[in-house]
Amino acid sequence: MSEKLPTEAAVTAAGEADSKTIEPVHGVHKPKYDWMGLTNEWGVRVKPGIHGLRLGDLNVGIYGEIPEFWEDQTRRPRGALSRPGIPPLPYSLRYKHEMWADCAADLYEEAIQRRWIPATEVPWDSLEVLPDDVERAVCQICTELSQCANTELEIIAYWQDRMSYGYFEVKQFLATVTFDCARHMEVLRKRALSNGGGLGIESRGRVNRMILESSGGWTEAVVYLYLMRGTYITRLLTGLLSSAHNDAESFIYSHMLEDHARHLTYGYDHLKYAATHRKGSTAIMRTLLTIGEGHMADELKDGVVRSAMAIIFGGGIEGGRTRGMKRYLLLVREFLEDYLALCRWLGIDREETLHPMLKSYLED
Amino acid sequence: MSEAVEIPEEHDLDTSWMENMGEWGANARPGKRGLTLADIQVGSYGDLPEVSDNMTGRPRGAAVRPEAYRVGAYSVHTLSEIWLDNAEYLYEEALQRQWSSATDIPWHTLEPLPDDVEEAECFLCTFFNEVEFVAGDVPARWIAKTTPDYLEARNVLVVQVMDEARHMDVFRKRALANGGGLMRMSGATSGFVGSIDLARDFTEMSTRLHISGEGAVLTMFRMGELFGQNEAEKTMYRLCAQDEARHVAFGVMHLRFLAAAEPERGEEINCYLDEAEGQLISGQQNPAGALAETSEALAVLLGGGMQHYDEGHKKLLVIRRRQLKEYMKRVMSAGFGERFENGRSPIPERYAASA
Repeated sequence: MSEKLPTEAAVTAAGEADSKTIEPVHGVHKPKYDWMGLTNEWGVRVKPGIHGLRLGDLNVGIYGEIPEFWEDQTRRPRGALSRPGIPPLPYSLRYKHEMWADCAADLYEEAIQRRWIPATEVPWDSLEVLPDDVERAVCQICTELSQCANTELEIIAYWQDRMSYGYFEVKQFLATVTFDCARHMEVLRKRALSNGGGLGIESRGRVNRMILESSGGWTEAVVYLYLMRGTYITRLLTGLLSSAHNDAESFIYSHMLEDHARHLTYGYDHLKYAATHRKGSTAIMRTLLTIGEGHMADELKDGVVRSAMAIIFGGGIEGGRTRGMKRYLLLVREFLEDYLALCRWLGIDREETLHPMLKSYLED
Repeated sequence: MSEAVEIPEEHDLDTSWMENMGEWGANARPGKRGLTLADIQVGSYGDLPEVSDNMTGRPRGAAVRPEAYRVGAYSVHTLSEIWLDNAEYLYEEALQRQWSSATDIPWHTLEPLPDDVEEAECFLCTFFNEVEFVAGDVPARWIAKTTPDYLEARNVLVVQVMDEARHMDVFRKRALANGGGLMRMSGATSGFVGSIDLARDFTEMSTRLHISGEGAVLTMFRMGELFGQNEAEKTMYRLCAQDEARHVAFGVMHLRFLAAAEPERGEEINCYLDEAEGQLISGQQNPAGALAETSEALAVLLGGGMQHYDEGHKKLLVIRRRQLKEYMKRVMSAGFGERFENGRSPIPERYAASA
């Protein structure tokens, strides 16, 4: 409900005072001040805390009321007074459960605090010539991860402008994610092109396709993007970090992991929110996972990433055939254990029905 | 360590991909500004296709895999549609100049303001909170449609989305931090024909968004020293102006590239500029525009209160004049200055009249 501020009286009084005491300037129309006094809530005075003035701190009074459904299809800021007659924009995600995660505002601020700059912060001078097979493997993984980041960026960019303004914390957090993705593509390209190598061969793109084609809803995309692919990428990055060849690679992988952890935190939190706030959503997720596991299994069977990772872990082709591959298979196993634990947490038990090809990685 | 590890046959090492990689032997080196995007334009990796046939989302220069899925529905896939010559520079600069609204604004310098001034500031903040993310929503939509072969230009747009998120956030913070609140929305950016949202061509969108919309806002932010009431507000406007200048530079440089690459589109671009100039002079999207309610708020801020409205209005006229001057400079820089000489544009006349 709008209210007129007490200042309206002051406005009139000041207006009258103007005409008496100030000589009017030629050509200056008399102000109408129609905009004055129009607010839903006045008198807000949020104070910065030890971490500064954060987005989440602003959720006070009416400004912190986040409805389950956002009626407005304009860009009206949450808590601002609406204006009749404004044509709608095509915001199709209007239910809170379609995008919400309680942690979004905090993650947004964290992303800003933890920004990093590939050009000047990566110790590029620490790169040293690697054996050709290892350099090729590193470059191949850079190519693959770059394409994964590209997929993440494109699917978020596709959904971002469909999200209602009532849930702006999520829109803002996702802006930091696409920014991270652009930086990941940048730094991986820089690594591939700065140590005597080059880019590798493009991805077959099974899981990329699955993510990009998940056009039924953002939650569906999150299932594939974060619960499935994202959980796997975390293990890949952890493995790469532990096998980094120099400080530059350590810096790159550790910072990518940090960014990626934020993305996953949002993704998991959103799925939990959807699972607990929308009837039937876990059943939909289960169906999606049943289909998705097949594609994930096919992608894991593809020899390129598997072999490149094994070569990195094994220190070359020879070591890659044995201990490197063993370590990679352990990585896949760890990914699947993480994945199953997350599914359980979401209330979707996949242990019994896990795709047989994926199940085989869990067997000794 | 024993090498006697038994690996199932299906997990044999496949090295066939090693024979089919992108150009080999790239050895980019960091310069005095670190290892920038410009530094890695080495060998074929620096070759930009005039028309991109990349429909699989591969990084530019990676080897093609015949069986890869065509997942990229890239409608922006010709260079002239989106390119600009200094994209690498703008991107790297944006990374260097990121800031935090939580910790980089001296919020402690906020002090209670007279009611009318606080209301004017909050009204302006409501407007900016509303419109800043237009420039987030809309570029995001185009990013998803643009081939990754033009990653440098696309990355600049990605940073713009980030910048706009921060702008949306800083204006909300200001409105809620000094005893005020948000006020009534303007509706200035809704889906009207000729609005930024509805453009179906990238250059048309960029002309509206970067050249006229953000150009006008940039001039205003630069004048933030005049209407900011304390160091927090002045810092806020200064930092936003820094970001906005990059966004405007994107539009100018892209238009310049397009003008040279596709001169036959000149008349079409001039039509967009005709519309943009109407908005600049009187549209609601220009917060200092003659018909915008925010103009009154600005005059209150510039004058230091309602009782000095006329004084503030005089300063507002200076801002409007400067908006016109800077707009003309940008359009001339983009290669469309002829419109100011041949009588097509009303801006020179307006500018002269505002002296």
